Amino acid sequence: MRLARAYGRAMWDARLVLAYTLLLSLTLFILAPFLMIALRSVGKGWFGRLWLPPQLTLDWYRWAVEVGNIPEVMKNTLIIGVIAVAVSTVIGIFAGWAFGRRQMPGKEVLMAIILLPRMIPPITYALGVAQIFYTLELVDTYLGVALAHVSVCAPYAILVLSATFEGLDERVLEAAGVCGANTIKRFFYVVLPLIMPGILASMIFSFTHSYNEFTLTLLTYGPHTVTLPVRTYLAVGDGYWEITSAMAMLMVVPSLLILAVIQRRAKPEKLVGGFKGV
Amino acid sequence: MTDVTIEFRDVSKRYGTLVANDHLSLAIRKGELMTLLGPSGCGKTTALRCLTGYIRPDEGRIFIDGQDVTDVPTHQRELGMVFQNFALFPHMTVQDNVGFPLMIRNLSKAERAQRVAQALRLVRLEGYESHYPRQLSGGQQQRVGLARALVYRPKVLLLDEPLSNLDAKLREEMRFEIKEVVTRLEITAVYVTHDQAEALALSDRVAIMNRGRLEQVGTPEEIYEHPQSRFVAEFIGLSNFLEGYVQAVDGDTMVVSVGGLQMRIPVLAEAGPGQRVLLFLRPNEVELLRPDDPGGANVFDARVEKVTYLGDTLDYRLTFGQGLTLRVQSDAQRRFGQGAPVRLRFPRVRCWAITGN
Repeated sequence: MRLARAYGRAMWDARLVLAYTLLLSLTLFILAPFLMIALRSVGKGWFGRLWLPPQLTLDWYRWAVEVGNIPEVMKNTLIIGVIAVAVSTVIGIFAGWAFGRRQMPGKEVLMAIILLPRMIPPITYALGVAQIFYTLELVDTYLGVALAHVSVCAPYAILVLSATFEGLDERVLEAAGVCGANTIKRFFYVVLPLIMPGILASMIFSFTHSYNEFTLTLLTYGPHTVTLPVRTYLAVGDGYWEITSAMAMLMVVPSLLILAVIQRRAKPEKLVGGFKGV
Repeated sequence: MTDVTIEFRDVSKRYGTLVANDHLSLAIRKGELMTLLGPSGCGKTTALRCLTGYIRPDEGRIFIDGQDVTDVPTHQRELGMVFQNFALFPHMTVQDNVGFPLMIRNLSKAERAQRVAQALRLVRLEGYESHYPRQLSGGQQQRVGLARALVYRPKVLLLDEPLSNLDAKLREEMRFEIKEVVTRLEITAVYVTHDQAEALALSDRVAIMNRGRLEQVGTPEEIYEHPQSRFVAEFIGLSNFLEGYVQAVDGDTMVVSVGGLQMRIPVLAEAGPGQRVLLFLRPNEVELLRPDDPGGANVFDARVEKVTYLGDTLDYRLTFGQGLTLRVQSDAQRRFGQGAPVRLRFPRVRCWAITGN
């Protein structure tokens, strides 16, 4: 009897160990490339079969900033991101209202079309965008690159804000009306505060998508609008893995900051749904 | 007609082929609590929403205090409303929720605080000013809703199934609370519900609706004692209907032939011999007697088809006369088994009939 229990416990322990091992392996698998560039960006003389770099240095970061012109590139990336976020959010609010609160014919078809840029291979879509932008002379302008980004940011904004508007309780708006609030006061005192979490979520989503966007940028950028992902990609072509790794690390910093803010300040499920009714 | 506060004049509203309100005409007097009662889909909520201006009627006019408000937008109608799902502003504290109508009306902060405190005292929610709606129980939320609706002293208070989302015990408590507040403030109130017990307990008058039309308007007593149609009788909880025709009229009593039996019931003014009538009987108002008890007027032999034990009462399904069935509820002191012969007695004054087919 006691033996059976001991055996059971041992099996249970074994299972636990197995589970943890698998989980740890998966984590390592996901983190390995990241660790690789992190080490590469601070390592010196790291060749051959060495497990760890023999010397540490911050030289590659200095090189990245000076030669790679990272401050300028960062500025481009942020300006383009801000424009893309602004345009996407405005589109998202109007389209989200329509999708979330109105019954309209062809809703599903419209939604499918809006999601299209994300569904087809990015390079296909980017080629079309590039051709149009060359005609319109939008290539190598902040607005041009940002508008290209909007084609992938806006669908997220629309999705998030549709859900937010759908979650708005009709009766709460009616209550505000009965209380004496006209359309404008209803919007500012009731609708806006209630959809604010959704707007923030859509802004964060849009920004990260613009910030990370590569394919669309590659086909619409020019010497004045190099963004971080493109700059890093170009550095790969130059053949300096260390400098490229340093750039890649610099690029990750803002993403991690955003992630930290989301984790700390807001619950993701709250961001998407807004809070509903009661 | 000066004491009429709300008037529906020939109001119709259609959704496609569905007629939600069919030429509805109803006058609600100043200071009275009028209940719109009916099953779901009868048009009571549509009528209420026409009153708030949330829905515009296709035809007809709506008057509040003698003023035609049919084309006045909701926010200018000076109404107070309590919602089934409370519809509080989730991002505001109790204080701000109740103060919202005052803020919209640009009252000073001091005045606002004073009126909010007053309203919260009225619904016994002092001390909850800084709570958010999600931190309150259903009953407390609905009291906040009531305070918000009353705080700016509206002309009319509308209540849209305010108790449906509360549990049974609380519902009864809140029923009296609402009644008390409305009576104390002498405010005109329109109360929408599908719960007949609620309607009878609360209302000064009840308007029963069915398929967009008014079936009957009257005090709870009138509705309960003297329903004017089979629908009203059924809705108010009557379940025994017997069809028959008038054989003779004798002073204040008429003799009705029902399934080969003669029943003596109070006379109907408009009924002469030969008139078809419909008899209503409440299951708890028919007396059950032993088969050897003495007979007399309105006493008939019957047979128990089915008995259901309900705790404090027993529910019998009986057959009598020529193929008549009847539901009777009687206290559990006298018991009859299935198939047992019994006698029924219909108290003369408790029988209510209407003319018709």
